[in-house]
Amino acid sequence: MTTGLDTQFMLDILPKLLRATWITIQISVLTVILSCVFGGLLSAWRILGGRVVRAVIYGFVEFTRGVPPLVQIALIYFALPRFGVVLNEFWTGVAALTFIGVGYTIEIVRAQVESLGRGQSDASLGLGLSPWQTLFLVLVPQAMRRILPPLTNELVNVIKASALLSVISVNELTKVANELIFIHFVVIEVLIELTFLYLVVVGSLMWLSRWLERRSAT
Amino acid sequence: MIEVVPRLLPGLRITIEVSAISLVLATLIGIWLGVIRAYTKARNPLNWVLDAYVFFVRGTPIIVQIFVLFFLAPELGLRIDPYWVGIIALTFNSAGYQIEIGRAAVGSVGAAQFDASLALGFSRRQTIWLVILPQAVRRMIAPLTNEMSQLIKASSVLSVITVFELHKAANAISSASFKYVELLALQAVFYLVLILSVSRFARWIETSVLGAGEGAADFQVR
Repeated sequence: MTTGLDTQFMLDILPKLLRATWITIQISVLTVILSCVFGGLLSAWRILGGRVVRAVIYGFVEFTRGVPPLVQIALIYFALPRFGVVLNEFWTGVAALTFIGVGYTIEIVRAQVESLGRGQSDASLGLGLSPWQTLFLVLVPQAMRRILPPLTNELVNVIKASALLSVISVNELTKVANELIFIHFVVIEVLIELTFLYLVVVGSLMWLSRWLERRSAT
Repeated sequence: MIEVVPRLLPGLRITIEVSAISLVLATLIGIWLGVIRAYTKARNPLNWVLDAYVFFVRGTPIIVQIFVLFFLAPELGLRIDPYWVGIIALTFNSAGYQIEIGRAAVGSVGAAQFDASLALGFSRRQTIWLVILPQAVRRMIAPLTNEMSQLIKASSVLSVITVFELHKAANAISSASFKYVELLALQAVFYLVLILSVSRFARWIETSVLGAGEGAADFQVR
């Protein structure tokens, strides 16, 4: 074999990288679930809350969207212990990504609920339902159907953002690959596997997102 | 906290420089490729190449793309300053996203314009440059602004390859003084002000120079 690639080495490190990919997936799925829960609650609050609550949530959303994810991750990493919250790297990573994810989820939910049109909420309020009933019994069930494709997209974004957790020493895919490069001084073999693994995970999710979009369109 | 502000300014300058240079380069390359992508036939192998490029850019985290370029350049015998590795990486990333922007903007102009222009005796090249692109530019403003904020945010990742931009500059101060949280909060303010002013400026261009346009919501994290 004269391909120049050390295929034996690539096979040797594959189990390690697959385990790291699994960590990446675990972190991302947990993040999306948690951001759905908190993001959902906060967006209900953002839609129905008083002026102060709305302004605070608006500020939070602007913060998560306007500050680089890397800075937010570092901020959470250093700020949590100051408030007496001591988590291990894995959960610090989940917390940091959830913080960012909640901001984006609020925007997704708001955009979906607003896209339903005023007629729905006006009619429902006119029929005597309370604002909370209107939101949860009329608007959310309709928005749910359209929320799935953007949420899959959100999972893709979270997986990509989780690579940044390598800077706070979470043992996810990018960190493990980086270590392998520095331990073995083998560059190209590791980089090929690293990008390939991301492309497989992210690519299949992008495909799923498109499929869901097509299905919900009909 | 106030006294470190001047020490962050050189970092802020690098952040602005790197993002602005990358935006200009990526816009030129990305929109050009987007126009090509819009007007090549479905069977053309060039399309597969461009689609593979876009897939790679969208399918891998930016930090991985930066690492790939940073580690690959010396392997290929190229000695490039991290500053330029950073600019090339950001350009590579942003151009991939802008192919879609260019393609969508050109596609939104409408095939009738193209046919009419050909019928009036313009060549294909003239049609694209004189008829289609001037109309498409307006629809590119909103996504391009978004791209600028994405680049400013992505430039923070260049700290991992020792580019001395805002995040790295602040890190250097905090690792000497252990005031991590304070400096991170300060940086966050810097980034917020920068990104908000970019988007305000773009909205101003959009409404007062080009007439009202539609804003684009984009939920990307890179």
